Amino acid sequence: MPDLTITRVFDAPRELVFAAWTDPDQLASWLGPHGYTGSAVTLATRPGGAWRACIRSPEGDEHWMHGVYREITAPERLVFTFAWDTEGDLRDETLVTIGFADLGGKTEMTFAQTGFPTVADRDGHDEGWTSSFEDLTGFIRGKDAR
Amino acid sequence: MTDTLSRTFSALADPTRRAILARLSNGEATVNELAEPFPMSLPAVSRHLKVLEEAGLITRGRTRQWRPCRLEAKPLEDVAGWVATYRRFWDDGFDRLEEHLRSLTGDA
Repeated sequence: MPDLTITRVFDAPRELVFAAWTDPDQLASWLGPHGYTGSAVTLATRPGGAWRACIRSPEGDEHWMHGVYREITAPERLVFTFAWDTEGDLRDETLVTIGFADLGGKTEMTFAQTGFPTVADRDGHDEGWTSSFEDLTGFIRGKDAR
Repeated sequence: MTDTLSRTFSALADPTRRAILARLSNGEATVNELAEPFPMSLPAVSRHLKVLEEAGLITRGRTRQWRPCRLEAKPLEDVAGWVATYRRFWDDGFDRLEEHLRSLTGDA
């Protein structure tokens, strides 16, 4: 089970939605919170290819992020790793999996960001980690109740 | 996304350490009590406790030999906060993506 899932329906064909992720200029135009501007987006859209992007806050703070493409199946599926640039420390790397389903001209985009593959890959406890994260959620609630 | 979060995640990535935390969610325990279910030496368990302590996931009493360990909830709450932060980040971006797509399809 993914740690974060967001499903959105866009009133556009999935080729367009897919391209909004894989075309650097398009990605730069929407990536990041409101008020931010995307810049310096480079995308090597092939499996194993690297991507890098920067978003700039209204105050001018730059936040760099990067990753590697794992799967590119236009226009239905896109998988890539995601990490913020943090002084060479990749421990907060996550995996993003996006599905694009055709709803007769509209597109249902299912975005999933799953947990911390760097830690999981290193330890080879992928499934254990995911289920432990669910345990953890119950855990936190338990603590809150005390 | 901070070093503290990295430390928390690294600490949680180990099944023994997760089991220790699960035990501590039931209340304080000594190193001996924590070591009991594991087929490992006391020093090995102590090393795990050190990692958990450095990640701020547990605290240990100051009494010399009886140093009970207890769970600290704060870093775990930050883990949930980390996911929530990403949700906001993407939700916001997807609003902008929607506007972008609308401008492409001419519905703007």
